[in-house]
Amino acid sequence: METPTTAQGTWLSAEEAGFLTAGPGRAAEAVLARLIDTGLVRVSRDGLVTAVHQTGHEATTSIEARMLGHARTAVRFDTIVQSTANSTEVADLYRHLFSRGLLQVPRRRSEARWFTLAVAGVLTVAGFVAPPFFAGVPIALCLFVLQYGRSPVTKAGKAALKHVTAHDRVHAVALHGFTGKVARQHVGELFELPQSVVKMIPPRSRKPRKRSTADGGGCGSASSSSSCGTTSSGCSSSSGSSCSGGSSCGGGGGGD
Amino acid sequence: MAGIKDLGVGIGWRSEIDLTVERLPGVDFVEVVAENLHIGHLPESVTLLLERGVPVLPHAVSLSLGSADQVDLHRVEHLGAVAEAVGAPMVSDHVCFVRAGGLDSGHLMPVPRTRDALDVLVANVKLAQRNLPVPLALENVAALLEWPDGELSEGQFLAELVERTDCWLLVDVANLYANARNIGTDPERFLDEIPLERLAYVHVAGGEQNGDIYHDTHAHAVLPEVLEVLDELCSRVAPPGVLLERDDNYPSDTEIAGELAAIRAVVNKHRG
Repeated sequence: METPTTAQGTWLSAEEAGFLTAGPGRAAEAVLARLIDTGLVRVSRDGLVTAVHQTGHEATTSIEARMLGHARTAVRFDTIVQSTANSTEVADLYRHLFSRGLLQVPRRRSEARWFTLAVAGVLTVAGFVAPPFFAGVPIALCLFVLQYGRSPVTKAGKAALKHVTAHDRVHAVALHGFTGKVARQHVGELFELPQSVVKMIPPRSRKPRKRSTADGGGCGSASSSSSCGTTSSGCSSSSGSSCSGGSSCGGGGGGD
Repeated sequence: MAGIKDLGVGIGWRSEIDLTVERLPGVDFVEVVAENLHIGHLPESVTLLLERGVPVLPHAVSLSLGSADQVDLHRVEHLGAVAEAVGAPMVSDHVCFVRAGGLDSGHLMPVPRTRDALDVLVANVKLAQRNLPVPLALENVAALLEWPDGELSEGQFLAELVERTDCWLLVDVANLYANARNIGTDPERFLDEIPLERLAYVHVAGGEQNGDIYHDTHAHAVLPEVLEVLDELCSRVAPPGVLLERDDNYPSDTEIAGELAAIRAVVNKHRG
C-alpha cells in the first residue's frame, strides 16, 4: 500500500488517524462513524447497529466490509467496535502503519525508573569513595532510559497526526471518539446519537493502570479507552484483549 | 364507536428503526407489535412518540382467533393492557390461526372459509372483544393456499364476520395483491364485498416474486402493483389511515420516506 502524502505531510485516513490517536478501538470507532455518516448502517435507540439494506453501495475498505458483514443482523454498538478492533483487518491496518514508519514497538514506562535513577546517583556518590562503583553508573542510566518508555507512535506518526483536524464528524470521532467532545459539543451529538448509546463505549481512562503486561510492550484495547500515549506509557484495556497487530497499538495521546 | 378518526399515514414502529421513525417527517401514527411490548416498560422511543401526540396502535399476531381452541385470554389481556398503556383507540389482529393441537405454526395461517370455521372465529372474536377495553380490527392475511370446500369468498367471509361481531377491518392491500398472485383471488371483488364503512385503516408492505410465488416479506420495496390496489381502495373510500409495514432489511431513511410519500400521494389523489 502506497503512502499518500500531501504538501503538508503524510495523509491519514480517519481510521489511521484514529489508530494513531488512541489505538485499534478508536480506529474501529472511526470506521463506524463513516458508515453512519454515509448511511450504510443505522443505530437504534437501544444501541443496536444494523446494516442498511441497499444495493449498489459497497464498502470502500476491508474494515468497512467486515463491519457491514457483522451488522447484517443487529449488533450492539460497543460490541461491533470491540470485535472490529480485534479483527484481522484492523491488525492489517496496524501493520500498514508500522510499515509506513508511523508506529513502532513501544516500551512501557516503569514506575521503578526513579528508583533506578536514584541508584545511579548513589553509585556516583559512592564512586568518589570507591571508584569501582562508577562502573555501575552507566548501567543504571541505561536501565533508566529503557524504563522511561517509548510511545508506540513515531515522530513521523505524530507529525502526520498534527495535520489531522476534526473538520467533519468522522474525523471528530477519529480524534476524540464518540464519547469525546469537540468545540464543547459531545461528538455523539454530531450523529444525533442518544447519550445512552454513546456511553456504551467505555470512557477514556483518565489514569492509566500501573499494571504491566506480560510482554512489556503490548498496549491492547478494543475500545478507545486505551491510554497508550505519548505522555504516558501505561496501558489500559476495557476488554482485556491484546492488540491484534502484534506487540503494540497506537496511541498518540489524543485528547477528548 | 361511531367511526375511526383520521389517522393519516403511518409506519410500523420497530426497535431497529426507532430513531428513523422518530425523525421521519410526516409520520402521523405508528403501529407496534403488541407481543413485543412489556407493560410498565415501554420503549423510550414509543414514550417519546406518545408525548408528541402520535397515536400508537397495538397490533397483535398471536391471538389465533381462527383456532378451534378457545382464544387464550392471557394474550387478550396483554393486548388490552398495551392498548391502555399507549392510550390506543383500537387494537388489531388477523383473521387466521397460528396454533392448533398445542403446536405453533410460526405463520399466519388462513382460516377455512366455511360456515363452521366462521362460527368458531365469531365466537373467539366476541370473547376477545368482551375482554378488550377498545374496539378490535381484524386483518386479511396473505395465503399461500386455500383450504378445500370453501363456502364463501374472502370478502363475503369478512363481511359476515363484521356483521356478526361488529368488528372493524384492517385491510392489507399487499396481502390482497399476494393472494391475487398466488391463489388467483380478485382484489376488486374483495373490495366490492367488504363493508368499507367499517374500514379502520390499511396496511401496505413490500415483497418479492420468487419463482411462481409472491412472498409478502415486509423486507422489500413496495411494488407499484400494491400501490395500484391501494389506489383502487382509495377510489372507493377514504381510508382513515394507511400504514407502511417493514420488518426486516430496513432500507435507508430516504427510501422509507420515499415509500411513505408514495403512499401519501395515492391517498391525497383521491382527496382532491
